[in-house]
This record gives sequence, structure tokens and C-alpha cells, in this order.
Amino acid sequence: MKQILYEKLIQYILQNQDRFYRVAYSYTRHQEDALDVVQSAVCKALEAHESIKNENALKTWFYRILINECLTALKKQKKLLLTNDDLNQEEMYYEKGYESNDDIEKELDKLELDIQEIIKLRFFEDLSLKEISCITQLNLNTVKTKLYRGLKQLKENIQEADIWVN
Amino acid sequence: MGKLETMKERYDQITIPEELNIRIQQEIQNSRKQQEEKRRNKFKRIIRNIEVTAAVVCILFTAALNTSPVFAKEMGQLPVIGELIQIVTFRSYETEKDDIAVSVEIPTLEMIAEDTGTLMDDINQEILIRCNQYADEAVRHAEEYRVAYLETGGTPEEWAEHSIKIIIDYEIKQHNNNYLSFVVRSTENWTNANSESKYYNMDLRTRKMITLKDMLGDDYIELANESIQKQIAERQKSGETFFTAEEGGFTGISEDVKFYINGYNRPVIVFEKYDIAPGSSGEIEFEIIKEN
Repeated sequence: MKQILYEKLIQYILQNQDRFYRVAYSYTRHQEDALDVVQSAVCKALEAHESIKNENALKTWFYRILINECLTALKKQKKLLLTNDDLNQEEMYYEKGYESNDDIEKELDKLELDIQEIIKLRFFEDLSLKEISCITQLNLNTVKTKLYRGLKQLKENIQEADIWVN
Repeated sequence: MGKLETMKERYDQITIPEELNIRIQQEIQNSRKQQEEKRRNKFKRIIRNIEVTAAVVCILFTAALNTSPVFAKEMGQLPVIGELIQIVTFRSYETEKDDIAVSVEIPTLEMIAEDTGTLMDDINQEILIRCNQYADEAVRHAEEYRVAYLETGGTPEEWAEHSIKIIIDYEIKQHNNNYLSFVVRSTENWTNANSESKYYNMDLRTRKMITLKDMLGDDYIELANESIQKQIAERQKSGETFFTAEEGGFTGISEDVKFYINGYNRPVIVFEKYDIAPGSSGEIEFEIIKEN
């Protein structure tokens, strides 16, 4: 049984590696860091594969590990920025090309981290609210509230977003 | 276009570096290696635990038998004494000479409790002699075959390709509180005609060899013959072939007919290949039910 789940996990990782990378990149905005994040998430998941309860929980379980790794990487980046006076560091943080685009990303960055996270998972990763509540370990209603608050802050048309949510 | 849609579009356009897949494959490989190691260690640990437990039990049991006459006596009187007899492989060996492979497993009966009497030794002695006899005979057959093969133009290389095997082993048919029933077999893989088998049936309550007469009563021959005739007739109806009496088919059982005891504690009479039916039918068995 454990063996089957282990193989399923490997399969899942191989099939969805691109998605994992995008999530990691959306947090770190840095190729090397994103790669590190995905790699260590995969490593941790494989090590802990015996703690998956069942196959259905595999997706949310993995996302939780991945996002934890993303947050850890973010903290490290911030520490680096604080301790290093070199202003060039700023360039490492925002990759070229990404920054020069519209200010839309910056707008998203201004939101609280957990709201950003919910928006990304809902709209970019196309996860259901229930799955998001599993990943963030927040109450389903809390997730909804935070999502609406985020959309409001982005001045996104709620009506339109409403359709997306359903 | 809404902001979110734009963002999503850009999000999807994040380029995936080739290195990603390489790194992930690496992680998976590492993990697989670790898993393999873990499994092997676990297996080793289990085996070790079993060994230790078995050793402890053995020591305790032997110690109890040897130090406490009361315990030893009690053991001997337990009604489940049947369980305390065991059949173990006394000696097994494999040899190969002139490309004739011989594999022998000689069973022997062991009583765990005291007071086994001489019967067990007699049976074991008989089994041992029979196994050796089977082996010698089979090897002789094979040697004769080899000589004939080479004399009629076969080369030693061709002979080597034959992979002649002689297997002598045993099979436990039934072992419960009442009976122990097993068969010692000799099989020669190049011929069907030389398979031999001997059945041993023991009544564990009396610790004696049991006969058909013991199981079915004085008129066991008539009873068995009648039952077998009936079963043959039934099986013929469903398409099985048996030799007729003229062809050397079934005419009646002899006193030393082969049988074993099945799970219902009933005797099952066994006819070897070619005995009463074409070889394609293999061994033929008849369960004999004694009606009360």
C-alpha cells in the first residue's frame, strides 16, 4: 500500500513539476531560488511520503510542503537583503524583464502574503476553495473572506470574480 | 481584460528552466536508493528478531523440560500431544555426477516430548533406508540411460543438455491432532515410468502406523472396492477414461494399497500414473467414505 502511494507520488511530481516551478517562481522571482525551492520540496515530500493518508490528499499535501518551502525561501531572501547593503542585491530579487512589465504584479505583491497565496492558488493554479483551505489549513470561510478582501484591494470586479469562484 | 486574467497569462508564461527536470530526477533517484536501503535494513531486523525470539523460546522450553520433571511429565500427558510431533528435514543433499543431478530431502519424525518409544526410530530408519534406496535406484536408471544413449550415437555434449534430475522429497498430506499423513516421493524427470512413492499414515493418539483396516473396519476391502467402482462409473460418465479390466484396469485393491488421510480424517486411496488409467490422467485418487 505504502509502496503504491510512493509510486503515485513520484508520478504526480513528474507530471506537475512545471506547475511547482511557477508557484515557486511567483514567490521568489528568481530562477535559482525557485529551483532550490522545488527541489527541496520534492526531497521533503519523498522523505515524508509515509505520512500521506490517502491518494486524494496527495495534491494538497504536496502544495502545503511546496508553499512552506516558498515562505522559507522568502524569509532567507529578506534576511539577505537586510544584511547586505549592496543595492545591486535588488536586482537579484526582481528578475529583469519581470519588473519592467506592468505594475500589476507589484499590486499583487502589495497584498498580504496569505491573500496573495490564496489568489495565486485559486486563479493561477486553478485549485478549488476547499483545496486551498486544506493547503493553508485555514477555515473555508476564512479563505473566502480573504479572497474577497484581496480582490477588492486589487479593485477587481467582484461580480466577474464571483463567477470564477464558483 | 481584467487584471487577474493578465496576471494569469503572464504567470503561465513563466519559462521553465531545463535544469528543473534534471534536479527532480536526481531527487527521485536519491530517494529510491534510500527506500531500497530502508527496506533491506527492515527485513534484516525482522529476521534477526525472529531468530532471537525462536532461540529464547527454544532455550526456555528445553530448560523447562530438563530442569523440571513435573513440566516434562505434564508435557508428555497433554492431550494436544499430536501437535508436538513434527516432521523435519533430517538430511538434504544435492549431488551431480556425469550430468545427473540428484536432490534428496529425507524427512524424519521428531517427538518433542519424552518417551517417544522405539516406533519413531523404526519409522525414521525405514524412511532413511527407503530414500537412499530410491536415490541409488534412480541413479542406476540414469546411468543405464546414459550408457545406452552414448552407445546409440549420442555425444557427451548432447547428454549434458538433457539435464537429468532426480528428486527425492516428501509432502505432508495431513497433520492434525489425530493423524499425521505424508508421502515420500522419488521423481526422475526424464521418464514417467519410474516415479515411486510411499505413503505413511500415523495415528497420533496411539502413536502407531494406521492401516485401512483400522480406519474402515474388517470388511475394508469390499467397502473400498465398491466405493471405487461407483466412483469410476461416475467419472466415466463425465468423460474420464479408465482402463478396462482386460487392459489392466481396476479389479480391486490389495492389502498394501497406497492411501493418505485427508482433512476430513477420511482415507484417500491413490493409484499411480498408468495403474488403472492412461498416463494423461496422472495420479488418481478416491476418497472412501465409511457409511455408518
